[in-house]
Amino acid sequence: MDQRLEGVAVAHAVNVLLSGLFHASVLFLVAAGLQVVFGVQKIFNLACGSFYALGAYVGVSAVGWYVGAGGPPALFIVPLALAGLAVGAVGVVVERGLLRFVYDRDETFQLLMTFAIVLMMEDAIRLTWGTAPRSTGGLYLAYGQVRLFGATVPVYNLVVIAASLAIALAIGWLLARTAFGRIIRATADNREMAEALGVDMRRVYAKVFTLGTALGTLGGALVIPATAAMSEMGIELIVEAFAVVVIGGLGSMRGAFVGALVVGILRAIAISVYPELEMLLIYLIVIAVLVARPRGLFGGAAA
Amino acid sequence: MKTALAVGLGVAAIAAAPLVASTYHVLLMLPFMAYAIVLLGLNLLFGYTGLVSFGHALFIGLGAYAGAFLTTHAKIRSLEVILLVAAALGALVAVPVAALCVRYVKIYFGMLTLAFGMLFYTFVLKFYRLTGGDEGTPFLRPALLGRSLDAMPKIDYLVGPYYYYSLGVLALAALVMWRIVHSPFGLCLKTIRDNPVKAETLGISVTRHRFYAFVISAIYAAVGGALLGPPTGNVDPTLAYWTHSGNIVFMTLLGGFTSFFGPVVGAFVFIYLQNWVMSVVPYWRLIFGAMLAVIVIAAPDGLVGLVTRRRPALTGRA
Amino acid sequence: MTRIHDTTSRRQFMKVLGAGAGVAAATLLDVRASHAQSTGPVKVGVLVIRAGVAAPVGAAGLRGTEWWAERVNKAGGILGRPVQLVVEEESNPKDTVERYRKLVLQDKVDVVVGGISTGVTLALGPVAEDLGTPWLSWDGTTQKGVEETMPNPKWAFKSVDNEVEAIVAGILTPKYFKGIKTVAGIGNDYSYGHDCWESYQAVLKRYIPDVKFVLELFPKLGVTDFTSHIAAIQQSKADLLMCSFWSGDATIIMKQAAAVGLFKTMKGVFTTAGGVHDSLKKDFTPEGLLLGYNTMYFDDPKASPLLKQFVREYKAKYNEYPPYECDHAFFNAESYKVAVEKAAGPAKKWPEKAQVVRALEGLEIESLSGRRSWREDHVQMCNFYQGITTHKNGYDFVTIDPIEMVSTKQAMKPAGSKLFEWINGWKV
Repeated sequence: MDQRLEGVAVAHAVNVLLSGLFHASVLFLVAAGLQVVFGVQKIFNLACGSFYALGAYVGVSAVGWYVGAGGPPALFIVPLALAGLAVGAVGVVVERGLLRFVYDRDETFQLLMTFAIVLMMEDAIRLTWGTAPRSTGGLYLAYGQVRLFGATVPVYNLVVIAASLAIALAIGWLLARTAFGRIIRATADNREMAEALGVDMRRVYAKVFTLGTALGTLGGALVIPATAAMSEMGIELIVEAFAVVVIGGLGSMRGAFVGALVVGILRAIAISVYPELEMLLIYLIVIAVLVARPRGLFGGAAA
Repeated sequence: MKTALAVGLGVAAIAAAPLVASTYHVLLMLPFMAYAIVLLGLNLLFGYTGLVSFGHALFIGLGAYAGAFLTTHAKIRSLEVILLVAAALGALVAVPVAALCVRYVKIYFGMLTLAFGMLFYTFVLKFYRLTGGDEGTPFLRPALLGRSLDAMPKIDYLVGPYYYYSLGVLALAALVMWRIVHSPFGLCLKTIRDNPVKAETLGISVTRHRFYAFVISAIYAAVGGALLGPPTGNVDPTLAYWTHSGNIVFMTLLGGFTSFFGPVVGAFVFIYLQNWVMSVVPYWRLIFGAMLAVIVIAAPDGLVGLVTRRRPALTGRA
Repeated sequence: MTRIHDTTSRRQFMKVLGAGAGVAAATLLDVRASHAQSTGPVKVGVLVIRAGVAAPVGAAGLRGTEWWAERVNKAGGILGRPVQLVVEEESNPKDTVERYRKLVLQDKVDVVVGGISTGVTLALGPVAEDLGTPWLSWDGTTQKGVEETMPNPKWAFKSVDNEVEAIVAGILTPKYFKGIKTVAGIGNDYSYGHDCWESYQAVLKRYIPDVKFVLELFPKLGVTDFTSHIAAIQQSKADLLMCSFWSGDATIIMKQAAAVGLFKTMKGVFTTAGGVHDSLKKDFTPEGLLLGYNTMYFDDPKASPLLKQFVREYKAKYNEYPPYECDHAFFNAESYKVAVEKAAGPAKKWPEKAQVVRALEGLEIESLSGRRSWREDHVQMCNFYQGITTHKNGYDFVTIDPIEMVSTKQAMKPAGSKLFEWINGWKV
């Protein structure tokens, strides 16, 4: 192969890889909150996509306010991330106001409660921001591009990938090194024992759910400059998040990470090679995993 | 005997509706009856066997598309044939799906069924040359009991012959389901739901019974789905989307999954309530979401549970 | 899981009575004006999409209709009767058919306007015919609807054919972009996306017989990340990219393409992104793209005073610039009004619905974006606006200059013909 063709092939491979990583980062951010909540509370939170959407819309508003108030555009990521984190407080409201009443119920009811939250959040978002797509405009390009092996890569995409990685590491550190993390792991392993040892479940649940929510809202806010916030995006996202956690294993952060990578990169490859397959491929993998190894790559015991 | 009397009165009330109620409200009874059939089947799985499927819209879609394909492509209009094919197709697809799913319970069961539901949705949407994609496939007016009624105005057909035909199918379906849940098979299901380990030691094969319950529920969903098609005249992929599966579980819960007729009541209330709320308020999803939350928290036995004045049973997790 | 208790007959009885009472109550509670009226307000049923990707389009249509209604009522209504909008939600085909029936049977509207998504309008057609009330659809007409399910509608009035803007783009592409040999296409994975791509290909082949279509991508509606798709497009090294996105995804792909400089080496044709035109900021939307605004361009230098007033008031009220759906909505409502007045004759007697329908056929009126009319076969006739993007304006988003205005007389297949036969029969 002559050098130019080789260069083109490499550039394309880099493009596919990085676009896959970008999508994987997005998926990880949606799924991370889901995993934290499931791991500890054993609740599959259908509303994780809705929290992600909330973070996206709040992010747009925050940036809009910031730029309108004259803030330097280069620093827009600061109010964006702060707003994303701050609105995670909604998790406290949802947990204390709704979810805690169904902790002693069957898993089914908990799932249905999260479905109720999905419905309510859809309209709450519509009420607040309307239905027109919302975007942060050209700020996505504020950090320019880099050339990597002949491919042009927007720096903001790298920022998202890096942030995703940082968050993954932070959660890993949280789980492994802090007291709170130990409590989370203990509770995830054996709740009765943890309770018997004096852990206040109420407080843990509230904190964990809020953490899960904040992960979602932060993710939504961080990604939004690269995309746009659209009506019912939460309902669409849950389907992909679902695929990620099934492949990776319910309740496992490592699983969310690996699952996101698998889905993101496979999707990127499929689009370049065999676009018709795209979503079908993901579902087939989900079903194959659920059948052959239901706990996914890193999950705990099934059923 | 008193039960039979009560049910007879109910059927009479539904039968009398076309004579007293406005055309529009009679038309609303059609999806009610179709959903009632679906829910009778779903509740065999939910209430009697303890498994919540989040993908049953798959079978609704299957039944609807079966009918659409038969009338549009195969030029077969007989509703009897359509319902039989829908039932057979529902069973056929349910066999491998059930075989895979019933090995798991609770959340994994829900997730697996959701995945299958969305796979079907994606398939139907993507292969548009076969299925019509988002435009769907027309479901032409079925012939009832061998008689083609194409000459009638569609509305007269729907509130007349088609209405009573649906009622007949619903009554038959309810009768069959009543026998099923009161049979030894039904008893086994309840035992499995309450204590699977005990059931096994009693010699009841847990997975085999769940399998049959699943297949039966799929047949009911497919038949209900086929009946949903003609009033709209067209079937499309949204019938199989996961939120549709969520809605039918919502209806079951609303009416009360702990009683035989609860889900039927749930379908009725859901449809009429949604009809009213949607016209009054654009943010009806907010209201329905709140309603679901309230039911889950305060009235898990649903409306029937409230009427029979039972305290919401709190199930322990241990 | 709670146990199922076998209910006693008394409880069953109560339940069943309750159900019966419910039906009766619902019937009584929900009765509205019941007689066919020639006095009292004119009820116009409006079907509006409220959720999902097409929600902004629905909102635009509703706003256009509301603006029309206010204007009409300020001027005394239709034949002296005030207009009352009865709004219902357009969602999926099954539910929307129910809402349509409610509008006609329960609310007894005189006319229904609205209907955007193709699946829904396809299902509504036969229902409209059955219920005998005029239905003027905003959008959503596909070849399937025209040829198969509604070949000779009596009551249904259909929007322009779905793919006209792709045809117009196909005609304009060789005019503005020379030396195109390879083309890549991206569109949403549903009838509109597929129809546009097929029509665009058919037209382009007439002008550039040996053009090669090297890539086609159909991400589903609702996707918010196209980085992988853009990578594939770059790999294809096409001379030109044709994109039929019409909602937030148009903005997203434009942004993500700008981030990798896609249009520095590739030409771009955006057949319908005018639907979100004011979100296509100059920051990331380059000049030199072919951009389609469907049937209304808000900044037309030849705009009528009516359009200028509409744009001004829309911006003041919503802080956005109106997209094309507003004029679909205005035209439908206004043509209905004019048809009623025409059918009423000098006696000004409120006409029967069938008379209104006859008056609509062939009717031409002044709409927001110029003259529009109803063809005899109940299809809308109007003009399509496309042009080359420019930054030379006073907004923070792109506009077009030069502006091409192509009439449906040229770009939409005539009544009774088949689309691809017609395209292949052009003299080029």
